[in-house]
Amino acid sequence: MPHTPHAPLFVREMGLPLRFGLYAFFCLLLLVLDARYATLAGVRAGLNALIHPVHIALAQPLDWMQGISRFLVKHAELARDNRHFIQRQELLDAGMRDRATLLAENTRLRALLALPPRPGFTLLAGEVIETTPDPFARRIIINRGQSHGVSAGLPVVDATGLVGQVTRVYPWSAEVTLLTDRDQAAPVLNLRNGLRIIVSGQGSDTLLEVRFLDMHADLRPGDLLYTSGIDGIYPAGVPVARVLNTEPPRNTPFARAICQPLGGVGQYRHMAVLVPTAVPTPTEKNGAAPSPHVAGSKRP
Amino acid sequence: MNTLQPLLPQGAELIRPPTRTKVFGSLSLAFGVTLLPWLEDIRWLVPDFTLMALLYWNIHAPRLTGLGAAFVFGLLTDVARGVFFGLNALVYCAATFVALLVHRRLEGFSIPHQALQISPILLGKELLLLTLGLALGRGTVDWRWLAAGLVAVLLWPPMAWLFDRATGRTRSSATAMQQTSR
Repeated sequence: MPHTPHAPLFVREMGLPLRFGLYAFFCLLLLVLDARYATLAGVRAGLNALIHPVHIALAQPLDWMQGISRFLVKHAELARDNRHFIQRQELLDAGMRDRATLLAENTRLRALLALPPRPGFTLLAGEVIETTPDPFARRIIINRGQSHGVSAGLPVVDATGLVGQVTRVYPWSAEVTLLTDRDQAAPVLNLRNGLRIIVSGQGSDTLLEVRFLDMHADLRPGDLLYTSGIDGIYPAGVPVARVLNTEPPRNTPFARAICQPLGGVGQYRHMAVLVPTAVPTPTEKNGAAPSPHVAGSKRP
Repeated sequence: MNTLQPLLPQGAELIRPPTRTKVFGSLSLAFGVTLLPWLEDIRWLVPDFTLMALLYWNIHAPRLTGLGAAFVFGLLTDVARGVFFGLNALVYCAATFVALLVHRRLEGFSIPHQALQISPILLGKELLLLTLGLALGRGTVDWRWLAAGLVAVLLWPPMAWLFDRATGRTRSSATAMQQTSR
């Protein structure tokens, strides 16, 4: 017969309300430590290392099922796809040749202007493992982490535009806060006239907004917003959003604009982290700078 | 004192009592179910299985679980959901505290009655989680997420039935036996 603990003969433990009070106090302490001082990243990474294998194992049967259904597609479908992909490949090859010449020309022009070279980024492709079940935040977990060279703060893109930013890094996975999160912002410039503004999330899945827009700012529906690159985090020239409409100021001195993200924010399974490659830049002479990009642009 | 129930476990309950292995095994299982890759569209409807299992054991085997287990599983949930440390732990501890206060009363009810009696805890948990998020300044609240509490109430009867089978609890017969001996 399995052992079950017996009721103690004499009650010599703290009362229930007192014990609850202690636990509640400890929880609040943890909350404050995490929310205000962000000191518990190590503990979180450790616990995540425990949970991560379970996560992967639980998602596995679904992957197998998808694998089997993929295996059973028709031959005609495969042949058609193959033809389609060969055509596409040729198109892309042509595009790549253009890109190579453009890159070469760009380096020449930069050298001409004596600008510091922009640090290169390598694309690290990753897959979405899961979305976090949190009603307040728009975040996803990808299967690339510290061991792959991801660090907090790196931008995340997909084929069509900016998706978000890495906010927490675990050993084998990372948390990406999507552009649509309320606390997420990206500095952009209007492609039409070079107007620099900041686009932030709204907390809805499909819309972004420009919160504090000068009421005389020249921003029209249909304008395309690309990253400006002046923050030192996002590289310049990544498509971010298209302006849907602007609202005149009401009760505040600022106008507001609603935009639609160009990247597939929260739509696709695959995306890429932009990992900066170690490029020898003038920053090494300047000492410790937060980002080679920012330091480079400050140079006289 | 609950007079409807026999003081000592009877019959099947005596042969298969709740053990530490059963309790923590089922808690881990429930936690695993919340980690499953649920579809994004029904995410807000997925009930908190971990809390349901915690409540069941706190009602029927309070000596084996308690605030400590609630705290540990709360922290694990915090990590799995990627929210502030201590948020779910606090909510789980509060729910466990309420359940422990009234566990003598809840123990004797039939399963559907128990589901009704426990609904304030399950709904209150979701409400507390959303309110805490609001208090911590995490933005606007999507009140749809309260529905997870309702789903948890609806899923309480099948879960309690399953757990009863695992521990050999027989509610109706225990009550009946008491009534015939009167």
